[in-house]
Amino acid sequence: MYRIRFHGRGGQGMKTASRILGSAFFRAGYEVQDAPRYGAERRGAPIFAYVRAAREPINERGVIAEPDLVIVADESLVGIAAAGVCQGLSERSVLLINSHEDVATWTHRLNLAGPVLVLPAREAVADRAELPFAGTACAGAAAVLVGVIPRDGLEAAVREELGSLPQQVIDQNVAVALHAYDEMRDHAGLVREAPTRSAKDYEPPAWLEPVFEDARHSAPAIHAAATSVQVRTGLWRTLRPVIDYDRCNKCWWVCSTFCPDSCISVTDDGVPEIDYDHCKGCMICVAKCPPHAIGAIPETDARDAALTGEPS
Amino acid sequence: MKESVLKRMKDLPSSHLLGAGTPMCAGCGGLEALHEIYDQVGAKSVFVNAAGCMTLLATYPFTPFRGSWLYTAMASAPAGAQGVRDALDILIDSGRLPPDEDLATVVLTGDGAAYGMGLSATSGAIERGLDFLYICYDNEGYANTGQQASAATPHGAQTSTTTLGYAGYKKDLFGIWAAHRPTYVATVIGAEPLDLARKVQKAMSLAGPRLILALAPCPTGWDFDPQYTADVGRLAVQTGIWPLKEYVGGEVVHTKAPKQRLPVEEYLRLQGRYAHLFEAGGQAGLIDEIQARVDAYWDGVER
Repeated sequence: MYRIRFHGRGGQGMKTASRILGSAFFRAGYEVQDAPRYGAERRGAPIFAYVRAAREPINERGVIAEPDLVIVADESLVGIAAAGVCQGLSERSVLLINSHEDVATWTHRLNLAGPVLVLPAREAVADRAELPFAGTACAGAAAVLVGVIPRDGLEAAVREELGSLPQQVIDQNVAVALHAYDEMRDHAGLVREAPTRSAKDYEPPAWLEPVFEDARHSAPAIHAAATSVQVRTGLWRTLRPVIDYDRCNKCWWVCSTFCPDSCISVTDDGVPEIDYDHCKGCMICVAKCPPHAIGAIPETDARDAALTGEPS
Repeated sequence: MKESVLKRMKDLPSSHLLGAGTPMCAGCGGLEALHEIYDQVGAKSVFVNAAGCMTLLATYPFTPFRGSWLYTAMASAPAGAQGVRDALDILIDSGRLPPDEDLATVVLTGDGAAYGMGLSATSGAIERGLDFLYICYDNEGYANTGQQASAATPHGAQTSTTTLGYAGYKKDLFGIWAAHRPTYVATVIGAEPLDLARKVQKAMSLAGPRLILALAPCPTGWDFDPQYTADVGRLAVQTGIWPLKEYVGGEVVHTKAPKQRLPVEEYLRLQGRYAHLFEAGGQAGLIDEIQARVDAYWDGVER
């Protein structure tokens, strides 16, 4: 059985990637399971989707703990522990990263036991939540890496899954998928199936199983105010709003009122401050600031600047 | 009734009560309205929340609220509010809760519950004169599950269940409420924060059934870049598509009526759900129809 995980951000087409790959497997005569996995998170939040494909009926359910192939559409996720990109990687798992950097850099950086491949990223985009065609490219690359999906089977799967879109958009996606397929052709068949396991051998994942308690204790009552601040929604952000305090005219209310997430507070002196732990990067403040005192920079640049100690 | 003390933008609060870190989408127009509303409602409140996008606000063990929150099924938030209100009243009457610790009973639902599934429970609650504030964030579809059409979806808008454009017409929830002769009904939008704050303040100063109906531009469901949430909201007002108004004492008064309405095209064009209206050979006639309906509404107001 093939077990494949796609990691990306909400909006980058990971669900579509898993569906395309699933359909392509199906056309090649496989039993298939594909599903996106996300919780309450939204656009920009780290999500993943997964595909199982086998010649026999698939009895496994749930997330893939031991993947044969992991594909990362957005390299900025690799460093985010909560995204779980590297979870369950072993010496036989292939990791493919859609990146501007090369294989040597990623191999050195990650020091993994298994092979690391890079799908050269197409173009630089400021807002990584809008990587053009990232999902289709990842599906195309995965199709060739498993080695059992023919090129025309991939094309048919893309056309099938995107059928409701305008013809021109479908054609663009087909071209992107086939380009990725051809680009990774040297590694065709690198991903190997792992044996199907019987339910007898099931090992529960290493999470805590909550024990049933008396309802008085286990009822989900929250006894504190505004605990949501413990959730770091700043991880969703792909663009960072930055205030130019020389241009800010201390209007008092515009950015702070329009920010849906209560992420901009104003000091007693009328100076706005952005809470980057929670700002999701919607950029309403950038659009609404009357003197245009708020600009947008790619989040990756802001993180790099923080690492090198340069002022952002 | 207390007149609003909010005279100008600078009277709006500069720090906000609603906690950050909610799972709402980036640029959520409903959350934009709710955080402005919550500053006026305050922490001494019980939010009774029907299933919808904002169910996710309080995902255990996290909540952005500083007061209480209770979750109900989609159709039954007003019934839940009745129970909460009754319990508070009994506690106060029996001396077990000091009157100054009373809490405002607030229902929070999306348009799926407010315009559709929950309408029967709402009608009953208004009829019984329940003392509650109903907040509806109207994102014109079942946005939490992928923007299926609801009874609040406007004519011609694409949703995941109406890919050729919604054939029905948006229900007039303001009119449905007003026909019950409740204490107060108002439409608001996060993009007009002063108008919103005044209305919520007025609603909070009154007793009985009260509705704050907020149009909630939805970047995910309406298909526009999240940075334009406030701009889309402002255009909804300036084109006359979303009339800001209030019903109080049997009268409907329009607040911020646009002096010169912009063409509806300017509002529609920003949103992917109307893209099919602008395609060559598409349904261009629909734009004229939408414009005509807006014009007819305002002709009726101005007469």
